Amino acid sequence: MRVWRLGATWEDEERLAGAWRRAAPFPHLVFDDFVPEDALPELVAVVDEEQIERYEADIYAFEATAPEPKTEGFRVLREAFAQALAAPLSRITAKSVRRADMRAYAYRAGHYLLPHTDHQQGVGRALAYAYYFPSPEPPEGGELELFRCTVDEDGEIVTTESACLVEPRSNRLVVFDVSDVSLHQVREVLAGLRPSLSGWFYP
Amino acid sequence: MVLPVTARDAWSAAPLPAVVVPEAVSAAFAARVRARVEQAGYTRHALVDRGSYERSSSVDEPELLDVLTGVAAEVTGRSLALAEAHALRLQAGDYLLVRHDRVHDDRPVQLVLDLSPAVVPGAEVHYRHRGQVFFAVPSAPGSLAVVERGPTVMCNHTYVSKRHVGASVVRLIVLLRST
Repeated sequence: MRVWRLGATWEDEERLAGAWRRAAPFPHLVFDDFVPEDALPELVAVVDEEQIERYEADIYAFEATAPEPKTEGFRVLREAFAQALAAPLSRITAKSVRRADMRAYAYRAGHYLLPHTDHQQGVGRALAYAYYFPSPEPPEGGELELFRCTVDEDGEIVTTESACLVEPRSNRLVVFDVSDVSLHQVREVLAGLRPSLSGWFYP
Repeated sequence: MVLPVTARDAWSAAPLPAVVVPEAVSAAFAARVRARVEQAGYTRHALVDRGSYERSSSVDEPELLDVLTGVAAEVTGRSLALAEAHALRLQAGDYLLVRHDRVHDDRPVQLVLDLSPAVVPGAEVHYRHRGQVFFAVPSAPGSLAVVERGPTVMCNHTYVSKRHVGASVVRLIVLLRST
């Protein structure tokens, strides 16, 4: 699959590794113009074939595909993504990752994902990612918000403070660390549509 | 406060007892209580992985709490006494997650009196049994929800959408225990 061709930005891994380590409030990287323009129609066509449903819990409300792909095209898209990114991300982040899961998300007006860390004991999530693909109605809101937080000796979060906002700009990839302090949220979408591919990398 | 017979019937019939008594208090009465709680003052909670809301623990409303305890006793058929009472105020962007709730082993009865000045669409209290919502308390100013807090029952207050600019949800939360 030709969608995930890494551009020149990825060639200087030493610089990216430094940016990863320095990023606040916890390690993360943002890549704009991630997918070559000529490959975007193919990406959108594959995602369009995958069925989405509404999901709701105390912490979120959004539409998404099932945890496992239903179409062969989406499964191939996921595997190709992991194949293209696992090796460079392992070198850049110093976290050895090999596979990734992937779901497509559609956040419409009123949808949100409230603050959480992604960290779950025994699940193995090492890195989280979100790729924002072109929207027919660019969203108002829907930013990824990262929090600075401190934990006590039992690992409970005891202070939180908003520290960074990442706009869900079209064709942007965000990768961030998963740990017990990687507190983040997707702010409520107030209007429009915020389509994305998102998931985690695992060892 | 007049208790509809259907509330008692609904309570008895439900496997996880929970009912809403509509129009339990008038808008004017709710406004007076709301003003007194406001005057006593709220404290904002902002550990955002658990909740974002304002809380007032200074609920000095003995007559109201007596009446509510009586209503709950009538609905549930149990002899009940006040254990705790506090008020919550949620504005646009606020919420309380399940992980901020606590387990009750002694089957107390929880009351939620909606003191809000107006309906806020989607602002609900969700009671969950083993994670699944079994009882949703809608935004209905003046209404009183009565819920038995069994050991598998947890609760969250849903996110208040920022699309409802100026929204204000005020809830009196009361915990009653058997005497």
